[in-house]
Amino acid sequence: MLMIRHAIGSRLFYQTDDYKIQPHEDKWIISISIPEIHAKEILKFKEELNLFDVEENQKTWYYSSDDHVVFNKAKDQFIISTDHKTVYPV
Amino acid sequence: MIQIIPETSRFSVKNEWLESNLSFSFGEYYDESNIQFGPLRVFNDDTIQPGRGFGIHPHREMEIVSIVLKGQLKHEDSLGSSGHLKFGNVQLMSAGTGLLHSEMNPSTEEESSFLQLWFFPDQKQLTPSYQDITFNIDAMHNELLPILSSNPTEGTAKIHSDVTLYLSRLDNGQELYFKQDRGRKMYVFVIEGELVLNQEFVVSQKDSARISNEQELTMKSNQESFILFMDLAGGE
Repeated sequence: MLMIRHAIGSRLFYQTDDYKIQPHEDKWIISISIPEIHAKEILKFKEELNLFDVEENQKTWYYSSDDHVVFNKAKDQFIISTDHKTVYPV
Repeated sequence: MIQIIPETSRFSVKNEWLESNLSFSFGEYYDESNIQFGPLRVFNDDTIQPGRGFGIHPHREMEIVSIVLKGQLKHEDSLGSSGHLKFGNVQLMSAGTGLLHSEMNPSTEEESSFLQLWFFPDQKQLTPSYQDITFNIDAMHNELLPILSSNPTEGTAKIHSDVTLYLSRLDNGQELYFKQDRGRKMYVFVIEGELVLNQEFVVSQKDSARISNEQELTMKSNQESFILFMDLAGGE
């Protein structure tokens, strides 16, 4: 499960099982299927997004230091290019 | 302009282990008109029940200050730092590129109360760091004692944000004076007691004052008081 949260106070913006994480050079490209209505709200906070890939015994925290968040309206899809990744146990 | 923010107007979060009174938008509380005051982004007045606390979680791009008022706070982080704080200690965490930490109340009997302040950093992608500060409790008696600052003097910790944070414990009837530079802001929080600002504005216990466009400020105690005062960069 992927969770998109606000970096200030951890408000949950969106969670989904419909996502992909692909390594690309020194980044991780995260593609998320998301309805436009949610995407528009989340884009207001694009400088302050934390993404968590939640598994049974661990979480992986990603973020984009240059706020690289793009919404593809035709596909209802977020593409977030993240350059920070931290894995920690839960 | 001096804007008094009464204790009762803060947003309260309460559950079985935490009471948090929020002065600015945070978590589920979001008010577009109450995001920040200068570089100050978060001012939470927290009380944690014994044996409970904030489990491991991440932060980034914030200067985070915790001031313990009562009880204890146990800190651990991904830098390998640990701390055991009580009254007289302040924790300064520069989250920078990111770190993980936990903050727990290690006591089995006593509540832990502390103020949690977050400031926007002056620059992004700083190397994360952590420090515990021990201040001289006697030195804040009827004086503004600087605890941390972007321009620290001896005995004051360095914060990567344009702010100087002071604490003071005032006897009844004592008055403090602060001369401010044009364009900067001031923030007052009354931890205990009651203050009168510029002979006019009463700030009661747990109230705060957001002060802009004032070059002089007097703070007179109506009773024995314990206060937090900040000199902040201007802007939003």
